[in-house]
Amino acid sequence: MAEEKRGSLSGLSENEARGFHSLFVTSFVGFTVIAIIAHFLVWQWRPWF
Amino acid sequence: MWRIWLLFDPRRALIGLFTFLFVVALVIHFILLSTNKFNWLDGPTAAPTAMTLSSSQPLRVASID
Repeated sequence: MAEEKRGSLSGLSENEARGFHSLFVTSFVGFTVIAIIAHFLVWQWRPWF
Repeated sequence: MWRIWLLFDPRRALIGLFTFLFVVALVIHFILLSTNKFNWLDGPTAAPTAMTLSSSQPLRVASID
């Protein structure tokens, strides 16, 4: 009776949450890599410390 | 960690995240453009020339009387 599995707060199922999370992590890693490259290039141009 | 998407709606989270990152990026870029060292469009502005004298103009000295 308390086994009400459906209806998370966001409306996603566990599989959907897992799938979105893997996409999110991949995108975050890509964004971070690009940001690190950009900071490296700016440091080569004019270091700020 | 993936359980966070059971709490937060991914669509709203993405819109909020993108909006936040865009505003932060805009602010950082404008701050950098306003500085002398990191303005990549105009480069450093010329040093103030208040103390330099041009030889083409004679130096005027105020007379006492």
